[in-house]
Amino acid sequence: MMNNSVLVIGGGIAGIASALELANSNRQVYLIEREATVGGQAASFCCKATEVCTKCSVCLVPQKVKEVKTHPKISILTNSIASEVSGKAGNFQVEVWQKPQYILPERCIACGICFDICPTQPKAIYLPSPEAVPYSYVINESQCLRLKGQECNLCQEICPTDAINFERKPERQELSVGTIIVATGFDVFDAREIGPLGYGRYPNVLTGLDLEKTFSYEGSLRLPSNGKEPHNIAFIQCVGSRNESHCYCSQVCCKYAMRFARLIKYQNPDCQVTIFYIDLQTAGKGFAEFYEECREAIRFIRGVPVEISETCYGELEVKFENILEGKVGRESFDSVVLSVGMAPRKDSWDLARILRINLSDDGFFDTKEPFNPIETNVDGIFLAGACQGAKDIPDSIAHGTSAAERAMEVLVRCK
Amino acid sequence: MQVRIGIFLCDCGESLKNIDFSRIRGDLQRLEDIAFVDISHNLCLEEGVKAMTSRILAENINRVVIGACSPELCEHSFSRLLKGLRLNPSLLSLANIREQCSWAHEGDVTGKALELMRMAVNKARFLQPVEKKDIPVNKEVLVVGGGFSGMRSALELSRLGLRTTLVERESVSGGKLGEFESFHGIETTPEEMLSSTRKAVKENADIKVLTSAEVTRVEGQVGDFTASIGRGEEKVSQSFGAIIFATGYMTKILPQDFQLKPDVNIISQRKLVEMLQAPGKLERRPGTIGFVLDVSDENSRLPILSTLNNALAVKERLGSEVYVFCKSLKVDSEGVEKLYREARERGVVFLKFEEKPRISKEDGRVKVEARDVLLGEEVTLLCDSLVAEEKVLPPEGTEALSSLLNIGTDSAGFYQDENVHLYPVASERKGIFFVGGCKGDLDFTRTLADISSATMSIYKLLSPEKVIVEVEKVKVEPEKCRACLTCVRVCPHGAIQMVRVDTEKEVAKIYDLACDGCGICAAICPAKAIRFEGYADEQILAEVEAIGESL
Repeated sequence: MMNNSVLVIGGGIAGIASALELANSNRQVYLIEREATVGGQAASFCCKATEVCTKCSVCLVPQKVKEVKTHPKISILTNSIASEVSGKAGNFQVEVWQKPQYILPERCIACGICFDICPTQPKAIYLPSPEAVPYSYVINESQCLRLKGQECNLCQEICPTDAINFERKPERQELSVGTIIVATGFDVFDAREIGPLGYGRYPNVLTGLDLEKTFSYEGSLRLPSNGKEPHNIAFIQCVGSRNESHCYCSQVCCKYAMRFARLIKYQNPDCQVTIFYIDLQTAGKGFAEFYEECREAIRFIRGVPVEISETCYGELEVKFENILEGKVGRESFDSVVLSVGMAPRKDSWDLARILRINLSDDGFFDTKEPFNPIETNVDGIFLAGACQGAKDIPDSIAHGTSAAERAMEVLVRCK
Repeated sequence: MQVRIGIFLCDCGESLKNIDFSRIRGDLQRLEDIAFVDISHNLCLEEGVKAMTSRILAENINRVVIGACSPELCEHSFSRLLKGLRLNPSLLSLANIREQCSWAHEGDVTGKALELMRMAVNKARFLQPVEKKDIPVNKEVLVVGGGFSGMRSALELSRLGLRTTLVERESVSGGKLGEFESFHGIETTPEEMLSSTRKAVKENADIKVLTSAEVTRVEGQVGDFTASIGRGEEKVSQSFGAIIFATGYMTKILPQDFQLKPDVNIISQRKLVEMLQAPGKLERRPGTIGFVLDVSDENSRLPILSTLNNALAVKERLGSEVYVFCKSLKVDSEGVEKLYREARERGVVFLKFEEKPRISKEDGRVKVEARDVLLGEEVTLLCDSLVAEEKVLPPEGTEALSSLLNIGTDSAGFYQDENVHLYPVASERKGIFFVGGCKGDLDFTRTLADISSATMSIYKLLSPEKVIVEVEKVKVEPEKCRACLTCVRVCPHGAIQMVRVDTEKEVAKIYDLACDGCGICAAICPAKAIRFEGYADEQILAEVEAIGESL
């Protein structure tokens, strides 16, 4: 018997794109997300507009997330993971475990009374983001006194809608679906792996991800060490991409670095911005014009620095090979941003085992043949977004839509 | 009909302590046409919804005003509630008294909340229902362009049960895949890929192929386009629900970029492929082959793809020395970094320049002089054949087609401009899609994603056979329309056309299915003949009037 519903694993932008396409074609979709909110990593990124939009596409995310939340054909299961899968295309059985829902999202009205009363510091109960979907408070299990075994029940007692209950247990569900779309996304490369660049050791060495977070909360960059505006900042490209263990281009870093560089320069025209690169990836619709603009405002240096050290004045000294002059150069900056790339999920092997799908040499999920970025070795299981290989937001949406198309095809074929 | 307004206020579990709800209730009750003012603690929860439902039914009201949290969070569920009660969701008016009032302010918060509520009440008086209607759509799809993308689109549509007509300008379908001799590391050659696709299209009963044919006219709207297709002398006119353009691209060596005209030594990728396919025909094997990239266009992905694949094929078949001159390698598509590494391992030499290389002729060979930034030295290469970078250009006829369809192009003349980031394959006009090279930037995996995205969008649109749309959310009042054509010109979605009402007069008509509800026409109409329900002039003015009242 054919099952007409679809399971999407991962509630990031690619999974959401797949879910929406299928739901809009009148198919029931189960969207399971490991975290407490959907939207994925892209939901925490910031708008990079200067006086004009620089087309970073981050604004697409909340728009799609809202659509997914209100869609009657999509059931969202947050805090959930798939633990076992059996069956075949047209009829998969999936076991899903949901972490205890101490706060029921459908009862929480986000009034914030619980936050005010929570006695811990930092607060154990919080709203993950102002745009969180579901718009519900969540509990940080390692902070919560009650969950640490102490006697505290303040939030449960004061909640006006009885949304909080510490007695809840993990829940198991059995889903029957026709096809499965895997959209588990990526891990950001951990810049600590490259010791000489000093990330984690020097406060003013940041990553692209740090910038995303800083700009989305603060709106501008201040030096972490002293809170002052930077005057001289450098970006280092290809950190965690195009090397022996990550033999691919992450596709997003040149673009985000140039967009950030332009934004920093726009906010503070006196700041000098330098980008160290191997090859600049400037292809893409409309990007050529943006690159032209960047060339006027930003200094580009070919060659990737190998070492960063902190001087006694707190400046960062960058040692690099100045290719144009043919010698080793040293230059000081207030702050250095490492343009970290996209790496496969560290635990993707677990899901690969459950679904019996292959991993590629790079550690991303593999497809069954070249020139087919969607289909896995298992009929009826498809890939969407960056879990298949590095992708930016528009490419992830397009990929998610394509995965929905293949899933649709299976549903039509098995009917 | 007498307006009867029911007002619901929500104090969000009594958490909005800085608002005096009973004062607001008292003030609102004194306004005209108010049936009741209720205060709830939890409008968004089950029990709140239940109470609201029974109240609406009991009081027989026809406008609902709600003061609660952000419409972002609650509008959807309230609309759904109204729909369930057979009340038109457009008769709902919301005021955000949580995020934009209670949470944001100190001082006279109640005063602001009252003002927001009054605005919502004033607007509610003028709200009109917007009906929804089924509009039937044609399930046939037109695919323009018989290259790989076009054929593949038709095949995928057929797998989802949609019939297509494929129109190709040339006498045979095929396109540009022939520019690749092989895909390195993959057994299937581009030639085989093309022929198997061609065969599948031919054998597919859902696909009608028209070669040597051209689309000369497109009229109508999504769901019901009428395309005129010219084939020599004959002309046919057929109706389609949606259109995919896969008209591809063309490439050209621009002589001004290479200081020399293409000749026996300066060749294109396609010429190189011919050499590779029949090495026996060569007078002698070229000892050295050079490739020059990033001269005509340093922001394109296509040249590096053909260069890497063909350079590896040269190494394998001809064993020549291969040098690639480029500025920045475009490795940001799938598998290209690996291909680049492989090419280096096989002995292809990559030289990177900052300033364009100088190219000249010497003793029947081509001399390339450039400063290599990695070596920091001037390099002079004498090669037997120089494969020149070809500029990727929109195919002939793109301009004519884009003006025919009233669709914008980017600065290089390719289809699609602004909206590419928002809707990768859609155009400004609903039901018209672009896939593959005609959008300007191209590589294999992205093209494949394009094709499936467009297919999915069309399936979503056409498979239900009818589309439910809001009817006359934006409408023209025919007696006010002066037929000045302003709205027709500004509509980015091509949703407005002139229709004849009698022998004397033509007026603008907005097609509901094609309309995106952006409101540009309503704002610009000099005769104020276009009404945008929910944002009509009298509604907004009534809201504004409420602002000063409490001062």
